[in-house]
Amino acid sequence: MPEDFERGSSLSLFKSDRLEDILALAFALIIATAVYFTYE
Amino acid sequence: MNPGQNVLLASHGTDGAKAAELMALELCEQGGHVHHLIVVPTLWKGMTGDDWLNNGKTRNTFRRYLEDQLSAECDEHIKRVKTAAEAHDLRYTSEVIVGEPDECLEKTSTRKSFDLIVMGSPRPKGKSGLRSRMQTKKIHKLSTPIYIVPYPDE
Amino acid sequence: MVYSKKSPALFVIGLIMLAIWYLGDSGMMNGYIEHLGGKKYKYLGEITSLPLYFGLISAAFGLLQWLGPQKEGDWDYFTSAIAGAMFILIIAMLVRWFVAPEIAVWSKAMGKVGDTGKYIHKLLGLNYIVIGIVAGIIIVNVFKVPHWAENGVRLSRLGLKTGVILLGTLYSAAELKNLGGLSIIMIGFFVLGSVGMVLWLGARRNIPNSMGGVLSAGMGVCGVSATVASAPVVQAKSVEIAYTIGTILLWGVGCMFLFPIIGQLLGMSYVQFGAWAGTGILNSAQVAGAALAFQPDGIETLKVAEIFNITRVLILPIIVLWLAVWYVKREQTGEAVNVGRVIIDKFPLFVLGFILLFALSTTGIFSPPVHYKGKYFDNTKVKPKNMMTDEQIATLTANADKVQRADQKAALARLIEGRKIASIEDDATVRGLVNSRVMGKESGAILKKAHKAVRWTAPKIKAFRKWITWLFAFGLVGLGMQITISSMKQAGGQPAIIGGIVGFTKAALSLVVVMMFIKETI
Repeated sequence: MPEDFERGSSLSLFKSDRLEDILALAFALIIATAVYFTYE
Repeated sequence: MNPGQNVLLASHGTDGAKAAELMALELCEQGGHVHHLIVVPTLWKGMTGDDWLNNGKTRNTFRRYLEDQLSAECDEHIKRVKTAAEAHDLRYTSEVIVGEPDECLEKTSTRKSFDLIVMGSPRPKGKSGLRSRMQTKKIHKLSTPIYIVPYPDE
Repeated sequence: MVYSKKSPALFVIGLIMLAIWYLGDSGMMNGYIEHLGGKKYKYLGEITSLPLYFGLISAAFGLLQWLGPQKEGDWDYFTSAIAGAMFILIIAMLVRWFVAPEIAVWSKAMGKVGDTGKYIHKLLGLNYIVIGIVAGIIIVNVFKVPHWAENGVRLSRLGLKTGVILLGTLYSAAELKNLGGLSIIMIGFFVLGSVGMVLWLGARRNIPNSMGGVLSAGMGVCGVSATVASAPVVQAKSVEIAYTIGTILLWGVGCMFLFPIIGQLLGMSYVQFGAWAGTGILNSAQVAGAALAFQPDGIETLKVAEIFNITRVLILPIIVLWLAVWYVKREQTGEAVNVGRVIIDKFPLFVLGFILLFALSTTGIFSPPVHYKGKYFDNTKVKPKNMMTDEQIATLTANADKVQRADQKAALARLIEGRKIASIEDDATVRGLVNSRVMGKESGAILKKAHKAVRWTAPKIKAFRKWITWLFAFGLVGLGMQITISSMKQAGGQPAIIGGIVGFTKAALSLVVVMMFIKETI
């Protein structure tokens, strides 16, 4: 089957899933920090 | 039925397609040319569905495995028909396309001029195989005559 | 390859978002909001903020991609995903703010269904999550995902993972311990049970080992994910894969709609439903979908269901290993199994993220532990309008002599004197008083109000909940766009029969177990 995307896979934008996991963690931490400082 | 000089054989791996293969070889004139079109339906692309738990490595292993499986199956078809065609003294070419079966047939048949298209009939209920039809309204509009071979058991 | 598309689509999405924001913020939408429920309409706060931010981002990037120069590279690759992400987001927004409330209005106009005492939309779980997933399925199957959105739709898994990791902030240690124990028992029993049952049925019906292998993994653990993981291991044929995945997808989507309906009809508690969905539904994305469908605005059910999901993910490598060993033994072929390799390859790293955020939240930096179970008690900040009025006091005093128990009498006296509930113990006592209904309807309502006035949801917890529901909504709408009907149509052959039997048995048995053994909250 030909690839639709030269980068990532058909279901993910990222080359490796480890990267996706780490980014998800980074986003979660950013949101957590934002929540921590915005709300009392 | 007039035999053709240039026959397009369309199959995508069903049992009915095997009957079509034999018929195509019968119908083709001595020294003629059979072009074998194998369509791998796009539905395979949806086969990872809504999986989101596997990591990329697992999914890639699966995709590669599936691709290998499918291409092995295609190779098997090609090898079988090629041997048979050579026994009938026919020139044989083949192509494998990923796409919607009817669209691919339409494209291939208009790209080159064929005298005849041969294809199998739809799989009857209860027979194992994929659910992906080649015979749709789009096909009926083609200008090339189509010969639909009955399902072998009937 | 240049990934961003020269299309006005993203810019238009941005304009639509900004229009929604403007209509909401300027009050021009008030008439419509009145129609959707007026004061009970909960989303005005979101409408007057979210579409402004995302609308600006969309419009800016939309213009840039539409009219600006295109250059290959990382910037192009990653920004090209914005279009698809905003496409999913605007669908989620429209569904959450307008479509789902509109359906609720229609449903309420039709009245309650028979003797269930519930409206149709509640019964069918027609809330924004379910409608969003359906919207995704319709888009991919009827219209196809537009070209400019394809790259961004691949972000939906990132959204779900972020949601799961963030969910870690919402558990107290006791909850996680209890739920974890429960899920390990339930999942362990049902996973082993259904894998065994498929292999046994398969042997009786003479299906090939490779088919038995993929099917048992799919029926036992996380549906499609497990099939994907195990197919290469047991060397499944392409048609077997198609059959299995078709069966699981069809069954899973069916369950996502059926489970919430059954749950509503049986009046299941959040924990009961979460545990049932987490065990009985094959596909993990659909577990989350069903949990949110059952309880769209709170997150208790999702919390339970996700723990079950995580347990399943952790069990997945074990099942793959088991199947590998089983297959190698049966077929006398294949390579030797490298246990360490399989575990490292299959381990879902995002579960560690979940644990990390859970660990952070147990330190109490977000909120004290008592806040996690839902609302907490605090009578120091009761708003003046929620203090009891003279009229209410009079009603309570008039009915006070109906109360017999000494502790209830004392609590009531303190309440009348202070015009608010005095302590957390009093709060529990008053709740008991309401439930016993000795004081009559009118006083009961007043006491309930007094109880509500001293119960609070921590603002941080509320914010986390909102983020989590949005992330899940985003991810699930995106995943809906990956469910193709052509793949569901492949359901058939022996897998459909065996899958049907095992799937039904598992759903029914786990329902019985949940109803019998899980009583109240966590």
